[in-house]
Amino acid sequence: MDRRKFLNLSMFAMVAVPASLSAIDFRATKPDTWTAKTVKDAIKAQYGDIKTEENGVSVKAPSPAANGGAIPVTIKSDISAKTVALFQDANPEAAVAVFALAEGGIVDYTLKIKMKVTGKITAIVEGTDGKFYSGSIDIEVAKGGCEG
Amino acid sequence: MANMKIKAKLKKEVIQVKVMAKHDMLTYDQAKKKGTDANFITHISATCNGKVVYDASTSQFWSKNPQFKFKFKGGAKGDMVEITWTDLLKNTVTESKKIK
Repeated sequence: MDRRKFLNLSMFAMVAVPASLSAIDFRATKPDTWTAKTVKDAIKAQYGDIKTEENGVSVKAPSPAANGGAIPVTIKSDISAKTVALFQDANPEAAVAVFALAEGGIVDYTLKIKMKVTGKITAIVEGTDGKFYSGSIDIEVAKGGCEG
Repeated sequence: MANMKIKAKLKKEVIQVKVMAKHDMLTYDQAKKKGTDANFITHISATCNGKVVYDASTSQFWSKNPQFKFKFKGGAKGDMVEITWTDLLKNTVTESKKIK
């Protein structure tokens, strides 16, 4: 597609057409995950009743975090994964993000998140072997990030 | 309106992508205080050569002007990485960048 045509299209697309590229939109397929108030409920809504092994997943973040409005969090794992989900227990709702991986995807994500108060960040990795792995980190937040 | 900055670099067969999107990411609480509607990015995806290489469903707890990094295999120098996000009001923005 040439660029001019593309730009024109994208202007109209803002009004009418939702993004068609998305592989899996978990907000549509698992709506309960995003309204769950606790990490436990959110995991249950996303994956059902699961048992997680607490190894193989590393979650890194600075603690104490100086600015709760933008805490850089890094999730890393060598596990061959299908999905990766990130939760925390400091905000009104627990879910932060759910990643879907293509074949041969690398679990190495960094993102900045908001946290209202001191809390715990939990990452769940759904392996292609059907098992679940988790990693977590406690973070002290000096100044909350949800107050605006 | 909205925009994003993308950096994509090839390093030992792995492409590292850094993205900075411009978005207020207003949570429901913040929006209430301001008297406006909440709006935040709900989905981000990236493709390279027609393949999805990054796919994230997101919540309001990403920071304002979210920055994120990810890595993937299976691209070469000069390929385009295309990143699209959609927010709660169904606005979508797509930007692409050549891999260096």
